[in-house]
Amino acid sequence: MTQTTDEVRTIEAEALPTRFARGWHCIGLERNFRDGKPHTVTAFGKKLVVWADSSGELKVLDAYCRHMGGDLSQGTVKGDEIACPFHDWRWGGDGRCKQIPYARRVPLRARTAAWPTMSQDGLLFVWNDPEGNPPIAEQAIPRIDGGPDAEGWTDWAWYETRVDTNCREIIDNVVDMAHFFYVHHAFPTYFKNTFEGHTATQLQRGVSRDDLRPSEKAIGGPKRKGNTSVATYHGPSFMIDDLIYHYEAMDDVRTVLINCHYPIDENSFVLMYGISLQRPEAEDEDPAEAQALAEKMVATTRIGFEQDVQIWKNKTRIDNPLLCEEDGPVYQLRRWYEQFYVDVADIDSAMTDRFEFELDTTKPNEAWQREVEENLARRAAEDAPVPQDA
Amino acid sequence: MSVRADNRLADGPMHPVGCGSCGAQVLARKSSWQQTTVQWDETATATCTDWDPGSATRGRFPVCEQMRASIAQAVVDGLLPVVDTRS
Repeated sequence: MTQTTDEVRTIEAEALPTRFARGWHCIGLERNFRDGKPHTVTAFGKKLVVWADSSGELKVLDAYCRHMGGDLSQGTVKGDEIACPFHDWRWGGDGRCKQIPYARRVPLRARTAAWPTMSQDGLLFVWNDPEGNPPIAEQAIPRIDGGPDAEGWTDWAWYETRVDTNCREIIDNVVDMAHFFYVHHAFPTYFKNTFEGHTATQLQRGVSRDDLRPSEKAIGGPKRKGNTSVATYHGPSFMIDDLIYHYEAMDDVRTVLINCHYPIDENSFVLMYGISLQRPEAEDEDPAEAQALAEKMVATTRIGFEQDVQIWKNKTRIDNPLLCEEDGPVYQLRRWYEQFYVDVADIDSAMTDRFEFELDTTKPNEAWQREVEENLARRAAEDAPVPQDA
Repeated sequence: MSVRADNRLADGPMHPVGCGSCGAQVLARKSSWQQTTVQWDETATATCTDWDPGSATRGRFPVCEQMRASIAQAVVDGLLPVVDTRS
């Protein structure tokens, strides 16, 4: 680690990982998949087909038919099954071929890859595991406290976009305190990261930078004083952010911000985010007005992410970032993130043991600092060699 | 995809700090008066009497007040250096 001061530091980056993270990945709003048609989702370096069976349950299979390679996502939903457009082979949500209309019987081993799914809070999730094991119970995504299923909350104001870089870039944001100031014009007064098991949390209390308020100006939104945010990644890709906005001329607004993604391949991912907010309790409150505010908020969030995307598009991958003391725990976050890229048997406790990083600019540190200095000075005086009497 | 070592630890390593209340031993580091890093391991979390798994995800800001106080005391006692005060 020691290097002479005039030595040029080299940016290092290993080859991109060849596997995709183990865990639950949200692939979008449930309702978008419930129109009776098959849907194509390109994820984890594969093409998937998503459809709803006759009971409304959402199913996800590998899109390529094991018969002659037809694309099931271009096929038709027939009853509970997806029918291939090539030869009409019928596949069930469990991955088994149920019927071949022109054949007397289905051949042995007519089974394709089925992806475990989960639907809650209006979102559809698929479980990815390169080892092929069933979902880990403890890693189930928790129900959202608030959100569209809760009384008095708006529907998701939702946005999806493709980003052409490896998804580790968006994970790094969890710890990047300094970029909030420079890229998002927010000023955290309290910041804390906690990594524990499969969760990574960012707690933040911040005030808006007075010199720059482009987000609010751009959407004509009300002027913000600051925010309190508790944001947790539950696994490698799904973040729930309990976000309270403090305004100058109105009451606090409680919101839930979802920030999630799924990898298309190692060089691109689909970034999705959505906001639901608790409608103000005023009797004359118009629900449409609250929904409009949610839409404005997601537009603000979009500005924020577009600022990130602009950086990601032009930056290089770096495995050995040169950090200063004011930076967040980038290396420790990546150590946490690594757990999703190794076999379960190879997860090291260092990846999951609790780690905390706290920055509190509100504490009156001066008095404490003085006490320590006095203490050390007194001790130095006590330890000083006593002059010998002649 | 192996994870490298944090370049900042080369100049200012983590220091062991014991909790004055339950005796749990963690590794701590302060880069400034305002910043604190704490690394727990399995033994420490098993020892901590104020352990509340998942508390961070519920927005509980301080994790363990006793450990916080012990870290502050370690600074006062000169056992835990504050990186940015060194010349």
